[in-house]
Parts: sequence; structure tokens; C-alpha cells
Amino acid sequence: MAGRGRGRGRGRGSSFAADALGLGRGGEALPPPTAQPPPLFPPLEFSPAPLPKNEEDNYMYLLKQEFRGHMRDSPYCIKPHNKKKDIERYSDKYQVGSGDNGIGWHPDWKRFPKELRIVSRKARPPKSAGSVKPSLSTARVSKKINEEVIKKLDELEKKEDGTKSGEEEEEEEEGQEEEDAEEYYDEEEQEEGTDYISNYFDPGEDYIDEDDGGDDGPTY
Amino acid sequence: MSAEEKQEAPDAMNLEERILELCKQNPDGIADSTLQKELPNVDTRQRVSAVNRLLSSGKIDLVKTSNELVYRLKDPGVVSKIKGADNQERLVYQIIEQSGNKGIWTRDIRLKSNLQLTQLNKILKNLESRKLIKAVKSVGAARKKAYMLFNLTPDPSVTGGTWYSDQEFESEFVEVLNQQCFKFLQQKVESVSALQLDPLLKRNRSFVSPEEVWKFITELRISKVDLSVDDINTILNTLIYDGKVEMTISAGAGTSSSDSSSKLYRAIQPLTQPTGLMRSPCGVCPVFNQCYEGGAISPSTCIYMKEWMDY
Amino acid sequence: MSSLQLKLVSLLVQEHFGDVVEKICTHLLKNGSNNFRSVVSTVKEKPEQVKKALCVLIQHNIVKYGLNKRGMVEYTADVEKALLLVRYPRYIYSAKTLYGDIGELIVEEVLHHGEILMSNVVEKVKVRLKEAMEGNQLEPSAIKDKFIDLVNTHFLQRLPSWSAEDDEESKVIPLIPHLSVSDADLYRIPETAGVTGKRKRPLNDGGRSSKRARSSSVGSEPDQEVPLDDGIYWKVNFERFHRYFRDQDIISAITQRIDKSAGDVVATMLRMSELTTDFMARETKPLSFHDIARQMPKKLENRQLEQYMKLLLDDQTMIVKKYGDAGGGMYEIDLEQASRVICTANIESVVQERFGSKSFRIFKTLLKKKYLEQKQIENFALIPAKEAKELVYQMFAENFITVQEIPRTPDHAPSRTFYLFTVELGQVTFMLAERCYKSLINLMTRRHFESAENKRLIEKEQKVEAITASMQGSGAEPAQLEEIEKTMTQLEKEQLQKYKGRIAKLEQSELQTDKTVFVLNSFILQEAEGRL
Repeated sequence: MAGRGRGRGRGRGSSFAADALGLGRGGEALPPPTAQPPPLFPPLEFSPAPLPKNEEDNYMYLLKQEFRGHMRDSPYCIKPHNKKKDIERYSDKYQVGSGDNGIGWHPDWKRFPKELRIVSRKARPPKSAGSVKPSLSTARVSKKINEEVIKKLDELEKKEDGTKSGEEEEEEEEGQEEEDAEEYYDEEEQEEGTDYISNYFDPGEDYIDEDDGGDDGPTY
Repeated sequence: MSAEEKQEAPDAMNLEERILELCKQNPDGIADSTLQKELPNVDTRQRVSAVNRLLSSGKIDLVKTSNELVYRLKDPGVVSKIKGADNQERLVYQIIEQSGNKGIWTRDIRLKSNLQLTQLNKILKNLESRKLIKAVKSVGAARKKAYMLFNLTPDPSVTGGTWYSDQEFESEFVEVLNQQCFKFLQQKVESVSALQLDPLLKRNRSFVSPEEVWKFITELRISKVDLSVDDINTILNTLIYDGKVEMTISAGAGTSSSDSSSKLYRAIQPLTQPTGLMRSPCGVCPVFNQCYEGGAISPSTCIYMKEWMDY
Repeated sequence: MSSLQLKLVSLLVQEHFGDVVEKICTHLLKNGSNNFRSVVSTVKEKPEQVKKALCVLIQHNIVKYGLNKRGMVEYTADVEKALLLVRYPRYIYSAKTLYGDIGELIVEEVLHHGEILMSNVVEKVKVRLKEAMEGNQLEPSAIKDKFIDLVNTHFLQRLPSWSAEDDEESKVIPLIPHLSVSDADLYRIPETAGVTGKRKRPLNDGGRSSKRARSSSVGSEPDQEVPLDDGIYWKVNFERFHRYFRDQDIISAITQRIDKSAGDVVATMLRMSELTTDFMARETKPLSFHDIARQMPKKLENRQLEQYMKLLLDDQTMIVKKYGDAGGGMYEIDLEQASRVICTANIESVVQERFGSKSFRIFKTLLKKKYLEQKQIENFALIPAKEAKELVYQMFAENFITVQEIPRTPDHAPSRTFYLFTVELGQVTFMLAERCYKSLINLMTRRHFESAENKRLIEKEQKVEAITASMQGSGAEPAQLEEIEKTMTQLEKEQLQKYKGRIAKLEQSELQTDKTVFVLNSFILQEAEGRL
């Protein structure tokens, strides 16, 4: 689509027309020979127009950040499988429902191809797509965390003291936190009786799924 | 006399020479009526145009005596010099003369005269030194010389017109005029919007004729040369290309003559603010095409972005 | 699809849905339609992960599925849909402008989930509003009313759904579901959705209940909460939003050029045409003077409106056209012309900001005069030869202007060839759209770079915030809170502040650049439509 016009203009035009036209900058426009290479970033001839400073654009940019943040924290954002994440995000630890195994949200399977169905033993009919809690803010601030506060504070302080030894500790600490987070979800699940996290912890699911995928094959 | 009268329809060259001859015979000047009598076979139109040619090329003058206008040889010396020149010189002179105030290039003189270049150059030099012709640098081609009669004012197409001085384009002069004209149109719009007018009237009253702009510019006295209304029109057109002004043709209300419609100009607002792309450094980046992640010029190493983000 | 579009989509999908989904999406875009097995075998991800990723992409309307000739399920990614991710904040903001905070939250929720039930949206928005309003009671029907408004004005659109007949429990599940919706139902709220929220519904509850039942492989529990509008999904109708953006651009152009009232007249005309004129139509349906007069929100005197109509007709943008004189004549908006005029203005703005006002003059001279030789350009624009040549060359080298050679002799000798410069608007539009994509890629890449540079600091701040929040929740002493606060040094705080400022600029620029993309693409689309 984009190719049509562009190719023509470039192909015929540039090579000799520029010289023939006397359009080439010619000797006078060339910089005088110098020992130094030209700068990678020559000084700007024009500066960019200012960004608008109105309410609308400010708000829209906040919406943008919020939306992206929300999606990253949502079960639609799938984390790599059994892999140490290269970028550890704080929010990862408080991830709702998006585990390494199982699907963290509830597709209405009737709307998807049969072969995509992820079935687990514990699966119950889903209510609907996305009974995910709309806001994570309440989930983040839970009683459970309070108990960790003192411990974390200590760790933070330790980090302040020694930067080199801190890194190792950080890793340990992260491992610890992940466990904590899991406990915390277990608790939450029981408290609220929601079913959407159940798949998440199903240990046998992965195995079954791959099996299932294999069974699907001969159908074609 | 009778010998000359034999010629039934004298060609233009001969006619001019006949007139010059007559002028010479009447050093105090010859009246048009006399001229007419002397040239009975020449129709009025032919005569007048020949006289005009002679006037404009500066060979004769129109002089007012006590009771009538007479033609008189301007500088008898010149003609006599030509008279005294050899045929080749005379030929070259005539070729140059024909080119009027637009001038003629050496190459074209050569083609018309069939002279050798060295020979021609000698003649040109000779004529030039005798202040019969002059060489004028043409604005279109600075290295080529155009020759014309010494006493002529070069045509604007040779000098470049109002916007040139010494064959140099006066860029700043044009820009100052461009700005001043726009300012005038803008002030007009502002003064009209201050009045509580109907929308249609408001628009119609914001239009300005080039004559008004001309008057304004003339009164500013920013121009050393005399500008014509046409010059102002040229400047106003640049404002149209700048997207700052629109032009409309008004069917001149009531004016009867051939010039029944005239141009009117009005300052307008741009349709958009700077477009979004141009609000980022990438929009104005001179090395945009060399930029790729991992290269020496890349988004991560970009100093334009850095400066812009911290500004 | 250009390689820049592909790269941009990859960044956008990665940013919203993570690396795995990005990988699958990029694979589908690069390789075209593809079946599940082939995706799994090429991307080297577990089938499980591929399934999840495909589900996410289908859910968010980026990937479509269908059966190929051999009866296999194939997945196709839609690059245009994926590119819209960058525009999501603008959709949400427009909903806010049009339908207030509730409208904003509704559209945001729908975008969060791609497709969703009305009852779910209402529930989620209710929870969020409750938090925001801190107990202030909201009229219970307010959210639903706004949702219905959004559907009635076509900003939300119903998705195809299962028809009851296909849904017999006994039947074997087909490879792909057969979903359908009639045109008449696209913007109609089914009656069931009007009933409040969810209800406990035992399985054997009459006729409708069979529809609730899942296929036998999935266990069902009786007594389960099932929304009354189950199966009826809604999504954001992007085209409708695009139409709104376009209309706003037209209105603001007219307002800039003439005045606010003229903008109002055009806004009224566009509003009246919303539901009668197709989005891609070349012009709106003709409107009579009296109808426009009646529909004006702020009454203009007829005499004034007449004058405004005349001003609009006379305007050199030629966006408003008139037919006939009977009864004050019929007026319409030339949408194709509007798109061209606005796109041209944006392109001119690029020339102005990138090359300066003299180049702009040359560019516009070429736009007006179509074909010009170098010498003519100099004369019209009144720019000295040497400078004009430089400026023309710059724009020529960057493909803003093109040259046509007209040889006077068959040997094509340059000295005997006319070179006519011109602006090929379509070509420049394509070129600039590509530039925008690359700029977006650059801005996002820089943003990721800045975040990586400040990673430790960002994480520290998040920790401190989380801890502070939790301690406040448990009623900690102010002194304790202050202690935590102090773990961030002044220098760190300043550095963070600087980082946030940088991110803000980058993100705002992304949104701005997308505005240019929108204008350019609208014109490209309109032109493509015109050629059909």
C-alpha cells in the first residue's frame, strides 16, 4: 500500500536530476575540508513546537499512563513461562491471577475456537469475561502486608547501607516476597470466595493442557 | 529630394534614416507637418512609429519651440560618428540598436552579423569606448554580457526589476515589505473586528485593495526606489503563498471601464496549530533517517531528546 | 503493512500485554494467517502460552479467527486495530468530554477488556465510582443510562453472539463458534440487559437456562450467578470515535478560519448528519437552511445564519457546498474536501516547522501552481535563485516535493530537459505517516530507556509508597511514617521528579504524534475510498 507512490518518486528523481538541475549544493555549500568528522548530532536549525499545556492534554497523558499500568497488572498481560523475568516489577509480586500456569481471566469459551480452550480439573463455568477486580488498590493494601512492613523496612535500610552486598540480599528478598504474595492470594481467595484465582494455583493443569492439545490434533 | 521620393514603401530602417537625414538638414528642428510633406508616400502610422523609435533610442528629441513641437537631432555627433564608422561597425550598432533596452548577447550579435568573434569583440570594444553602446550584466546569467545603446535604461527583465540592486537580489528588502504589508492587512482585520459588525460585513470590510497597501508602504518611506502598485501585488502574492493572506476578485461596483474587476486582499488565520508530529524532537530531527536503535544515532543516545525533555 | 508499523505494533502490544502476546502477534503479522500448530512450532512457546496469548488477542479484537479452505482454524492479526492501542487514551477522553465521568469510566472498562457484558461494565463502574465518590450515592440507573446513550450514539457496538439454536447441550462443540448479529441489533440494547445486574439462577429455570449451561466437559454448578445479559458482548466502535475526531477537526478548522459561530453552524450540520451519513461518505446528506436553523443550539437570527452560510460557501476551504435556491437552498459538507484541506494544512505545518517559512512559501506555491520550473518558483516566491535552489533541494531530498522530467529531445539530455517540480500530496501523506510511526517508535524506545535507567529508584519509590499506604491503613504513628518517608533522599526525590517530567513529555508527544497519524490516515482512507 505505502509502496506505490514512494518508490516512483525516489527512483526516478534523485540520482541525476539533482545534479543536472544545478540543485546539488555544489562546491560552495559543502563544508570546508576538516580533520574532524562532522558531529553526529548537528545543531538543530529549528526547535520542536511546544507541547500544548492545557487540561485536555494533561488528563489524556494521565489516562495513558493509567491505562498502560492497568493492562500490565491485568491478567491479559501474560508473563513468560517458568522464566526468571528480566525486568522485575514491583507490581509483578502483587499480580492478580496471571500466573505461569493457567489463564488468569475468564474467556467466554463459547466465543473462542475450540482448540484454544484451556481446561482445568477445578474449572467451573466462568461468570463472564473479566470478573477481575476493577481496582487493585484495595488488594494492594491488605492486612497481610502490614505484617511484612517491619521486615521490609529493615531490608530497605540495609540496602541503604551497603550497595554491593545489597544486590544478593535483594534476590533473596524477592524470593521471599513471592512466597508471601502467594500466601496472600490464598487468603484473599478464601476470604472473598471468588473463583477466578482457582485456576492459577492448580498444579496439574499444565500437564493436562498439553495433553489436551495433543488430543485435539486428530480432529482435523 | 525627388530621388528619395521614388521609393514607394520605404522599409523601417530606411525610413528612420530618411527622417534623420531630414532632421540633419533642419538643425533647428522639423515639425511633424513638414515631415509629412517630405514623406508623401509614407503613411501616418509608419511615420509615427519610426519617429517613436528614434525618440526612444535617443537619436532625436522632441522640442517645443515658440508655437509648435519639432523633432531635432539629439546629438549630431553620434550620428556623424556612425556615419563615419565602417560598414561592420554600423551593422553591429544597428543590431544592438534593434534589441532595444533588453540588450543582446554577443553570441546572438555574431549569429546576426556573421562576423568572426575576434572581429566582433574589437568592434564592440570600439563602440563601447566611444560610449555608443554599453555592456549590462544580466540578472539571469551573471557571466553573460548584454549590449545595448549607451543611453538606454535596461529593461527590468535584465536588471531583475525592483527587487534587484546591482544584479543582487535584495532579499531583506522583500522580507521587510512582506512583513509590513501583512502588518497592514492584519491591522485592518483587527480594527474591523473591534466594530460590532455583522459577520458578512466584517469580512467584506477586512479586504484591502493593493492601492491602499501601496499608499501605506509609500508613506512608510522604507523603500529607496519607487514602488509601483504592481510591485505591491507581487509582494501580496508572496503573502498568499505564505498562507497568511487570501485574495478575492471584486467585480468593481459601478466602475465602468476595462478595469472593472480588481484584486482585494485580506489577512487570514491558519487552519491548524503546529501538527502533533512537530512537537517532538523527531519532527525537526536532521538525522532522522540515520537513527535506529543500536546505532550511533539512536533514540537512547539522542541528545535532542535529552535537551528537549529537560528543557 | 510497513516494517515500521510492524515494529510499532510490537512495542505497543508488548507494553500492554507482555512479551508472550507480543511474540505471537508479531509472528501472525509477519507470516499472515496461520494455524495454531504452526504458530506453536515457530514461536517456541509452550502451546499453553500460545493459547493464552491468542485468547488475549482475540479478546482485544486484534486477532480474528476463521476456517481456511481445508477446514483448519486460522488466526489473522489486524495491524490497523493493533495500532489503535496508542489512541486508547484519546477515546477515553472523548467519552469524558461527551458523557462525563461515567462515560469515561464505561469506555475505559470496555477498552480494558476488549469485549464485555453491559452488566459487567455497570458493576465495575459502580465500584470505581463508589471509591471515587466516597460514599456519595449515585443514582443507580445513571451508569446504565450512560451506557445506553453510548450505544444509541454508536460509540459502543454489539458483537456477534451465539444464536440459541446452535447452543444445544448435546451437540458436539464446533471448531469455531458461529457468532452472528444482525445489523439492526448492532446498536440496540436487548430487553434482558435492561434488568438490573445479576441474579441467582438455578439451572433448571425454564427455557433460557439451557443457554446458560456449559458443554459437558466443563462442570456446571447450579445456583450459580449468571448475568441476565450473558452472551451479549459490547466493544468500542473505533470508527465512530474516528468520525467524532474528524468532525472536531473540521469544526476547529472552521472556527480558526472564520469564528466560533461559524464553527457552531458546521458542528450543527455534522451533528445532524451523524446517523444519516456513512462514515466514509464523500459528503453529508444535504440539509435545508430551515432545518439547520432549527437545530442550532444557540439561536442565531435567520439573517445572521444566512450570512454565516454565505461566509462558509465563500471560504476558500470549500468545505461547505450549496445546491439550489428553493427555500434557502440545500447545504452539505464535503467530507472528502475537508479531509484533504485538513491533511494539507497539517503537512504544511510540518514543512513550516521543519524547513522554515521560506520553504513553506515554496511548498505552498507549488501546491497552488501544481507544476513549476525552478526559475518560476523563484519568481513567484520572490526568493533569490541560490537560496531557492537550496530550499528546493532540501525538500526534494526528503521527498516532500518531486520532479518531473520533460525532455525536449529524444536523447534526454539534461540541458535540453524541462524539470518541473510538484507536490504529490498522496505520496507526501504516506511518507509522513511513516515518519510518524518511526517517531512513535523512537519516543517509546526512549521512554523504556529512561525507565530502565531509573529502575532502582522507581522500585524503591513504589515500595515506600506501598509501605506507607499499608501503615496508614493500620493506623501507624506519624513519626513512623516520616521515618519511611526519609528513606528517600532529597537527591533521589529530585532525580525521580526529573524522570517523571521526562516521561510525561515523551508520553504527551506520543499522543500528539498520533493526532498527526490520525489526520494523515483519514485522508489516505478517504482517497482510497474515492478510487473505488
